[in-house]
Amino acid sequence: MAKVVVDAMAMQRALTRITYEIIEHNKGIDGLVILGIKTRGVYLAQRIASRLKQLENASVPVGELDVTQYRDDIEHDSQDTDPQVTVSKIDFPVTDKKVILVDDVLYTGRTIRAAMSAIMDLGRPKQINLAVLVDRGHRELPIRADFVGKNIPSSQQERIKVSVSEIDGHDSVEIIER
Amino acid sequence: MAQRFLILEDGSIYPGHGFGAGATTTGEIVFNTSMLGYQEIVTNQIYHNQIIVFSQPIVGSIGIAHDAYESILPTAKGMVVRDVTDISKNRQRSLSLDQFLKQHNIPGISGIDTRHLIRQINQTGTIKGSIVDVADDHAFDQLHATVLTSQQVAQVATPRPYPNPNQGYNVVVIDFGLKHGILRQLSKRDCNVTVLPWDASAQDVINLDPDGVLLSTGPGSPLDLPESVLDMIRTIQERIPLFAIGLGHELFALANGSEITKLKLSHHGANHPIRKVITNEIIYAMESQEYVVDPDSVDRDRLITTYLDIIDGSIQGLRHRDYPAFSVQFFPDGAPGPNDSVDLFDEFIEIMGTRE
Repeated sequence: MAKVVVDAMAMQRALTRITYEIIEHNKGIDGLVILGIKTRGVYLAQRIASRLKQLENASVPVGELDVTQYRDDIEHDSQDTDPQVTVSKIDFPVTDKKVILVDDVLYTGRTIRAAMSAIMDLGRPKQINLAVLVDRGHRELPIRADFVGKNIPSSQQERIKVSVSEIDGHDSVEIIER
Repeated sequence: MAQRFLILEDGSIYPGHGFGAGATTTGEIVFNTSMLGYQEIVTNQIYHNQIIVFSQPIVGSIGIAHDAYESILPTAKGMVVRDVTDISKNRQRSLSLDQFLKQHNIPGISGIDTRHLIRQINQTGTIKGSIVDVADDHAFDQLHATVLTSQQVAQVATPRPYPNPNQGYNVVVIDFGLKHGILRQLSKRDCNVTVLPWDASAQDVINLDPDGVLLSTGPGSPLDLPESVLDMIRTIQERIPLFAIGLGHELFALANGSEITKLKLSHHGANHPIRKVITNEIIYAMESQEYVVDPDSVDRDRLITTYLDIIDGSIQGLRHRDYPAFSVQFFPDGAPGPNDSVDLFDEFIEIMGTRE
């Protein structure tokens, strides 16, 4: 049973609101860089960056962050297959920048913890803010988002599925009961 | 139908046939190019003291519907149309346009060459006119002698607060002559609304502890309202999410250091594409404006331009850089349509939601 909780219009609106909140919070876009967490966070990051460009007429650098190696909840004992090798694509320095970290769903907080470790290995940013499309609760670490598209209180039995038109063909957030 | 006349300040006379009330009235002549929504248009209080010319040639064909009023006591001064039809039995068993105008003492005149008239107004700019029984010197003397009030807001806005209870967010609407579409959209989203008079102070608003504040549409010039209204806006925007529409938008711009200019010819219609800057989408909405924000006066350190009219380049939306406060010049409430921007009310709700 899948239930759509955020449709395409609402997703656009959420990203628009987050964009304005980023400008409000940072008093503009000076020194801002955006890092999207693979896979869907990258597309959301690009959409926020394109909105900022429309409004401010200046580009904000966007990077792709792969946090697989930094995760604490994946076992590194697979011998039969090579772990899928994907890498971060960040061609700008993060030191002394204000980083906006973007992900689709905020759940346990472990992905974000891993992402922060990955960023710290690249440099020492001035600050890191977190923007997520969905906050579904059930945190296992002391992490919270600065910009939230939609709070969706969920049970741990449910799955939250985010689709983005760039790879899924349409925009939506669904709750799927397992 | 009795012969009546539309006379203009510049001496022109348009003979036609009277419908609606038989009153003699004087007002500014404005024209609306919308294809539909004559009931919403004639009941909108922004037309206080104005005679509305409809470019749509046939008006009245679906009568008057009980769910399409934009005010209880409309104060438009008249309707000028090419043809009025009289179908009194619409699906909602309400009134005909003719009966409705009689009830509210608003005269109408039909059989007018509205294309010629609109071309003429395009040349002269906004001009005064009267609907009269006899187009003689006396009628013209009366027309020239009539001074229209500049206190439109006080004439049409509620003098006392009133509630529109519901279960959702607590919203204060400041009434500058609001259209019901605004209340309808808030009601659809379960907002618990209190409507305050236009001269409410910031403290009056804060005392109600609202989650959001909406500055309504209204008639006339924002420059005719006292500075105290702008002080109220400046205090509120720092504390409470703010959404401003129409006259409210013009006041929001003034309160944040922008200047307002009067258009030579007021613009009423839904035929201008509007660009939503943040996503580059094109939308349509009912625009009704006599005043616009001067683009050169917008302080870019304080305000972001969010919507632009593609035809005349006018600013159609603003947002504050530092606070969750935003405004649109056009009417997003879809009464009458287009409905392209109704979701601005959802945006308002979601902004209130982030501050819980």
